[in-house]
Amino acid sequence: MAVKKGLFKTSVGRKNLMAVTGLFIIFFLIIHLVGNLILVIPSTFFPIEFWGDVENTHDMYNAYSHFLVHFWPVTFVAWILYAAIIIHVIDALLITLQNRKSSGEKYQVTNNSTSIWYSRNMGVLGTVIGVFIVLHMAQFWLPYKVLKTEHDLYDLVLSTFKVWWFVLIYEIGIIALGFHLIHGIESAHRSLGIYPKKAMRILKYIALYFSLIMAILYAIIPIILYFK
Amino acid sequence: MKLTLKIWRQENAKTKGKLVTYKLSDLSPDTSFLEMLDVLNEQLATKGEPVVEFDHDCREGICGQCSLVINGKAHGPEEHYTTCQTHLRSFNDGDTITIEPFRANSFPVIRDLKVDRSAMDRIIQAGGYISSFTGMAPEANSMPIHHDIAESAFDSAACIGCGACVATCKNSSAALFVSAKIGHLVKLPQGQVERNERVLWMVNAHDDEGFGSCTNIGACAMVCPQEVQLLDITRMNYEYNRAVCLSAD
Repeated sequence: MAVKKGLFKTSVGRKNLMAVTGLFIIFFLIIHLVGNLILVIPSTFFPIEFWGDVENTHDMYNAYSHFLVHFWPVTFVAWILYAAIIIHVIDALLITLQNRKSSGEKYQVTNNSTSIWYSRNMGVLGTVIGVFIVLHMAQFWLPYKVLKTEHDLYDLVLSTFKVWWFVLIYEIGIIALGFHLIHGIESAHRSLGIYPKKAMRILKYIALYFSLIMAILYAIIPIILYFK
Repeated sequence: MKLTLKIWRQENAKTKGKLVTYKLSDLSPDTSFLEMLDVLNEQLATKGEPVVEFDHDCREGICGQCSLVINGKAHGPEEHYTTCQTHLRSFNDGDTITIEPFRANSFPVIRDLKVDRSAMDRIIQAGGYISSFTGMAPEANSMPIHHDIAESAFDSAACIGCGACVATCKNSSAALFVSAKIGHLVKLPQGQVERNERVLWMVNAHDDEGFGSCTNIGACAMVCPQEVQLLDITRMNYEYNRAVCLSAD
């Protein structure tokens, strides 16, 4: 009989946990992107009849934000998301510490031709994203959802992205996210391993194009708002 | 050819090592890499200095005994080669070549370029076998196996256990090595008896030996002399998750 060490205590299990939490965060990122693309709907599209004759971006975005904060199933999923992010970070630290211990003495000469830089530096990219998330939440999530000091989220977002260096910080965060996703998506599916061989062959391209589309769409939002 | 060699010299696992520079001349480009080290050792022995110790056995690329990280790449500059099959024609006249041992916490240095890779043997002992009747070899066609499956199993079985994957991996994970054995046996009918237990035993042994977690970087598969694929690691992860759900224990 084999000793089962618990799914998340072995080298394979810990990576499973990274994969599951990572994929959940990606699911959130898609919804977060779709929601925030409201910000860049051109004014010529209004009024939109489907949304109850919403007059402009300002009203539509604020109605959407209001819905997110006051609809309890969204709050419930949000708590799962916070947990997923925290577990993703802690698990990453545990894996990195074990891997540092495993790797022993450093090579005097290194040759990196056998792998791509972002796949080796997921921790660095993750740290950049982590710092970005803290800033991002302090700017919008904290005053709007927790402290409730800001009631017009649209105005807050617009005024933030009128500052050029905020736009720059966001672009840096998004670029880091893009590279993190290219490797993360491929690696997560490989860690779970539950896919047929043919799917694994095209996985690399799916990961690349998905990440590229996500990063570009996220990146255009601050830039468009800056010039709006 | 003239070459400058910077070779890692280390008394044993407890002492600190350092790179020592040696110069060699009048080398033929058709000299193999290990023959070049033989030439150096002959010169050192003549001068009464301690020779450079390194692992080797068959010198025809099939035993997995030779190691060495040459200019930062396991088994040297050629793709999917072993060190013993690397020749000096892969380098230029006047080059400086840095030679280091396979480095990983689970591969303690015995002396100079020689490391203890017995951790990999212990992983195999933990489950890299099949339960089978002993005696005469069975009739070859008594257990029909599809040609494609036999070929695929053989691709994984081709692993020579050299440890280049571990040496190359930034995390010193032996996932490619473990997954090659699991992939080899799981594809064949003989491997089905211990299918669930094997992957749990071997992954546990892998972790107990102190190897790291695979982060799917893929550098291991790029240096593997036998071209074992990253897909084997993916299959191992699948087998592991399946076993956690299905094994009787």
